[in-house]
Amino acid sequence: MTDPKSKIIVVDDERNIRLTISYALEDANCEIDTAVNGEEALQKLREQSYALMLLDLRMPGMDGIDVLRYVADQYPDMRVVIITAHGTVQNAVEAMKLGAIEFIQKPFTPQEIRDVVANVLARESIERKPGLDYETHLELAKRLISARDLYAAMKETQAAIAIAPSRAEAFNLLGAIHELNGEPSQAKKHYRVALDLDPTFALARDNLARVSDRNRRFERPRL
Amino acid sequence: MSQHYIVITGCGRLGSMLANRLSRDGESVVIIDRDESTFDNLTSEFSGFTIHGDATELEVLRQAKTERADYFLAVTSNDNVNLMIAQVAKLIFGVPLVLARVFDPAREDIYAQLGINVVCPARLSADIFLQTLKAAED
Repeated sequence: MTDPKSKIIVVDDERNIRLTISYALEDANCEIDTAVNGEEALQKLREQSYALMLLDLRMPGMDGIDVLRYVADQYPDMRVVIITAHGTVQNAVEAMKLGAIEFIQKPFTPQEIRDVVANVLARESIERKPGLDYETHLELAKRLISARDLYAAMKETQAAIAIAPSRAEAFNLLGAIHELNGEPSQAKKHYRVALDLDPTFALARDNLARVSDRNRRFERPRL
Repeated sequence: MSQHYIVITGCGRLGSMLANRLSRDGESVVIIDRDESTFDNLTSEFSGFTIHGDATELEVLRQAKTERADYFLAVTSNDNVNLMIAQVAKLIFGVPLVLARVFDPAREDIYAQLGINVVCPARLSADIFLQTLKAAED
């Protein structure tokens, strides 16, 4: 994980979720704070700054998406990971448009929590320089989606495609970016390319199925 | 602290006791039961996840992320169900350590042949009874 101690805030009305996440990150190099609802979260954000927020979208009172809107507006440098329950995907696309591109589904293992936190924090420390490899371009693209710069994210994805045009991941990501940008037909085209390149690529298969099916419009693109 | 991911099926007296204690010890626990009211057996020590569903359905075990489990404990009140779920956990989800409770001592051998570790309350009780009697004689 990155330099000194990354401060993380867990916002969830369920005590068990706050505890599980705090336990899981106990040995990681980070400092954990918790909030039981949106109001308390905003209060804490005013008092100090955090590198990362783990946020439940469904909370009584001010719900997660309101918190996320506020965060995206006031604290654009803070990253947000969404905690979701099984089958609740409403608002997910909106959350992604607000920059929260990582989702963790309940129940989660301690390792899943550690991995997602490490990934997001590591992504923040990537330096943009010439000669980056394929994976790093894709990570940078994801960071740019988080920062809500979809145009730059597209450029970054295209740079990855230029390095390895026969790999499917970048086309899938490009499809997702178009989808978030409100261009479903472009999205479909890129998902198809990804699937042609690698017919076993589950993410692209799910994404293509979703954009082709009107009834599943609440689900989110998989990156 | 090395935290494990543990899936338990059945939230009766044994399942809930295991879930409460493991959770108190800092383990990450998911407990499944098809009767939602059994989750009332969980105390404030429990900080894990509950899933209301039938653990004989693959989808429910998938929802519990069984493929990521370090340990799997099949402790419903039905021997056959425990055997079936334990086998699924071992063979389909590849859980490294699977334990099942079996009431009927006569079935212990069959389970052992299938590679399932079993705990038989009747046998354990009998052992303790006999040990206690033996200790009294000495």
